[in-house]
Amino acid sequence: MTITTIGTAVELRAVTRIFGTGTAAVTALDAVDVAIAPATFTAVMGPSGSGKSTLLHCAAGLDRATRGEVVIDGVALAGLSERAITKLRRERVGFVFQAFNLILALSAEQNVALPLRLAGRAPAAGEVQAMLAEVGLADRARHRPSELSGGQQQRVAIARALVTRPAVVFADEPTGALDTTASREVLRLLRAAVDRHAQTIVMVTHDPYAAAFADRVLFLADGRVVDHLPGPAGASGIALRMARLEER
Amino acid sequence: MSLALTMVRHRFAAFAGTFVAIALGVAVVAGATTLWASSRPQAPARYDACPVLVHSPSVGTGRDGYPEYRSWTAGQARMLAARLATLPGVTAAVPDPAFYVQRLAGGRATGDPDGARTDGHTWSSAVLGGYRLTAGTAPQSPGQVAVAGMAPGSRIEVLTTRGPATWTVTGTVDGPGFYVSDTAAKALAAGVRVIGLTVTGDPDTVAAAAESVVGGEGTVLTGAERDSLEEEAVTRTRWLGAQLLIAMVTLGAFVAVFVVASTCALSAAQRRREIGLLRAVGATPGQVVRLMYAETLVVAVLGGAVGVPLGALAAPLLAPPLVAAGLEPADFAVSAQPLALAGSFLLGVVVALAGVWASARRSSRVPALDALRDAAVERRAMTVPRWIGGVLAAAGGGGLMAALPALPVMTRTTAALGSAMLLLVAAALLAPVVIVPLVRVVTWPWRRGATGMLVREGTLTGVRRVASTAAPVLLTVGFAALLTGTVATIERAAGIDEAAKLPAATVAAPDGTPGLPAPVAAAQPGDYALSTEVLVTIGGVTSGHQATGEDGVHGVRLSRDLRDRPERVPVAFADGTTTTLPVTGTHDGPADLVTLPRELIREHDPAALADAVLLDGPAVPAPGMKVLPAGDYVRERIDVEGRIIRIFLLVLIGLSVGYTGLAVANTLLMATAARRGEFTALRLAGGGTGHVLRLTTAEALLTVTAGTLLGGAVAAVALLGMQHAVEEELKQAVEVVVPWGQSALVALACALVAVVAAGGPVLRARSR
Repeated sequence: MTITTIGTAVELRAVTRIFGTGTAAVTALDAVDVAIAPATFTAVMGPSGSGKSTLLHCAAGLDRATRGEVVIDGVALAGLSERAITKLRRERVGFVFQAFNLILALSAEQNVALPLRLAGRAPAAGEVQAMLAEVGLADRARHRPSELSGGQQQRVAIARALVTRPAVVFADEPTGALDTTASREVLRLLRAAVDRHAQTIVMVTHDPYAAAFADRVLFLADGRVVDHLPGPAGASGIALRMARLEER
Repeated sequence: MSLALTMVRHRFAAFAGTFVAIALGVAVVAGATTLWASSRPQAPARYDACPVLVHSPSVGTGRDGYPEYRSWTAGQARMLAARLATLPGVTAAVPDPAFYVQRLAGGRATGDPDGARTDGHTWSSAVLGGYRLTAGTAPQSPGQVAVAGMAPGSRIEVLTTRGPATWTVTGTVDGPGFYVSDTAAKALAAGVRVIGLTVTGDPDTVAAAAESVVGGEGTVLTGAERDSLEEEAVTRTRWLGAQLLIAMVTLGAFVAVFVVASTCALSAAQRRREIGLLRAVGATPGQVVRLMYAETLVVAVLGGAVGVPLGALAAPLLAPPLVAAGLEPADFAVSAQPLALAGSFLLGVVVALAGVWASARRSSRVPALDALRDAAVERRAMTVPRWIGGVLAAAGGGGLMAALPALPVMTRTTAALGSAMLLLVAAALLAPVVIVPLVRVVTWPWRRGATGMLVREGTLTGVRRVASTAAPVLLTVGFAALLTGTVATIERAAGIDEAAKLPAATVAAPDGTPGLPAPVAAAQPGDYALSTEVLVTIGGVTSGHQATGEDGVHGVRLSRDLRDRPERVPVAFADGTTTTLPVTGTHDGPADLVTLPRELIREHDPAALADAVLLDGPAVPAPGMKVLPAGDYVRERIDVEGRIIRIFLLVLIGLSVGYTGLAVANTLLMATAARRGEFTALRLAGGGTGHVLRLTTAEALLTVTAGTLLGGAVAAVALLGMQHAVEEELKQAVEVVVPWGQSALVALACALVAVVAAGGPVLRARSR
């Protein structure tokens, strides 16, 4: 079942995700509709337990929706096999996680090349090097993650997410474990990817400062999208909305 | 593949357990198979000069799997040899009657008793080995002998089936054995089984010609076929050695699979996050499986590369101890066995891949989402395949254990080993079920203290981890307890059984000889039996039977177990003659035993010897004989068998304990190393290194306790099952021998290894 939806990188239609069964059932997402336009930077905010991580997992095909439909780059996920979803993820989705999820055994260069290798194709000459240069780590190519700082590791992770030129990059609290300086560097890189390479990025965060880098901010509470701020919004404005949400 | 290489290089510590297990396993298998392959049957050296041999006809294969032969009478052999001698290309055709001669030194028998049974030969047969006189003349009349290493004119004391004798050396020969004149041999030897041909020209042409002459009267052997004429004593020795080597290979491979599987399972569990990450960035389940196989392949190849030379170098060093233990013939030499080495290498790879199979499959099902979860909380410890595997292994092991008493004595150790393996696999698979209640019970007294609480909750939430680390302990303790217990119980049962048959107070028994010569036995006051082998035809089927010659027997007595006993049976003796005897009664023994008149056996088999004489008066001293109480005699006989079994046990338990000790250390080391973060948290919460050490020690001890109890339980169940089976067979009560001492020792060793291995990473982490 393939529905071509022109004009969106990712689309969630009436997506519901319920964990557990019976009385222990928890509704993490409640009929959420979200459409992400290509070449945009979207931030998803919300208090703890609002369902923002589940939204990201469902949108990325890491988790299956209980009901509703997820379409990534024009391909509906419902009915796809685990193998097909893996392939889709490999080709059209990139990830940046909070804990710098690099394979410790591999050098920066090898980590960046990993998605290409897994897809069975050898990186083109200079492709990986160019990607590392993009994130400012051209001189760290042969370093192992243990020899890099937290910010540097996260930049390697960003390079790895961008190397396949995916339809969308999902970032889950990418600055959560970083200090202010490193955070700013990472956010600037993400912003640059959108502006210079027309990359689509969806970022889950609880940091208004981080969300301020986005084109649009979605606010989640109790599994529903309750509000959104279009256009570059100031950190203080975002913080205010958040505070109001948390008071509810 | 390059990813796998990088992974292995980076995390070699995690693969070290697999590497060592594979390297050692391959070394054990390579060494054992090299020894085994080097130990091939070989025609006796005394036939070195005859490329064509004719053997008396076979009547089929006996119960022991070896062919049974009918002998030629001396006359038949002479006539056949005369016909063979006329063939073109044959320079000589010589019958080779072999008989018992043993040298006496100071009234005591010397040399290997079993080998001495075929040490006597006719002088004419010396040509078959190409042996020549280096001094003196050939023996001419009874009382003369040609022998190596003695100057002509000297005298030697010997023991033959005719009793002790003093012979004069007439010639010095350049080969082993005692060579007497053909007439003298007639009185000492039974029939003839081999005629050797010395030839000129092509042996195959001669063999073909001989075939047409011999027809159904025998079998012509040439080339490699000659090796089937190996002495029975040598064959038996090699067979014993092969049993040990086969058991070593089986055990080596089994323990390697076990250790590899448990280390892989543990490391896969620890790598869940990493694998989830790979899945998240686009690795398909198939790619994850292939990665794990590739990693293991790299490790297995490295392990094999170390293990193969190790085994090949160790094999020659093991040859002398094997010969000394009576498990290989004296002339045993180890040769290079490239096929065995290649096979061992391959086995290592296969074993490693088999070991990683389950965990690779499990890992491939790790959802990508796991990369994002931090929780080390485990999924269900018991899965459906685990249940099925555990129950199947338990059923198989139990069944084999129940069938144990029905198997031949020497096969029992191997069978007991097999059933022990199955039961232990079952216990390892089902361990998580038992560990939870076990931990609750064991930690109950310490539930109030901080360490007690941490240990208790730590093990209860990490049941699979505990099961992984307890598995090698379970294996070690179970193996040790089960093997020693089984053998000790069977030994004791056999002792009771044999003692029941021996009523007399004192016994005259062979002393360093294969048996008592009939005249020596006859001189003693008391009863004795002569034993030999005969061919009996019952219902048209001719087969080999053990024969006991007893006093006061007329005709032949057959086993009571034998249905449809005929009235008369033809009996073929070792001298090649056949006599038809009336069936006059029955005996209580097995179906392949017949009782015959003693005088008849003495007449037809000069080589027959008596096992012992039950004395009812003062013994008449004779060389090669000793007098001892019946109890001691039985114990001695059991000890002879027991000595071999004890060597088996020592090797097998040593192997398994050494191996699994390594596994215990490895899994605990891995488990503790992976929990460094947890321990850091404990330190931050106010615990000192002492606290952490107490925690790791307590957990290690708990793990060892769980493994010991489970292993002990398996051993106990199996021992009880076996006791029941043995009782059924012997129809008398049998006491189970529980090897408390050995088991406790093994458990203690495991505990020591475990505590050190678990504490190591903690101390190392602190010193950083």
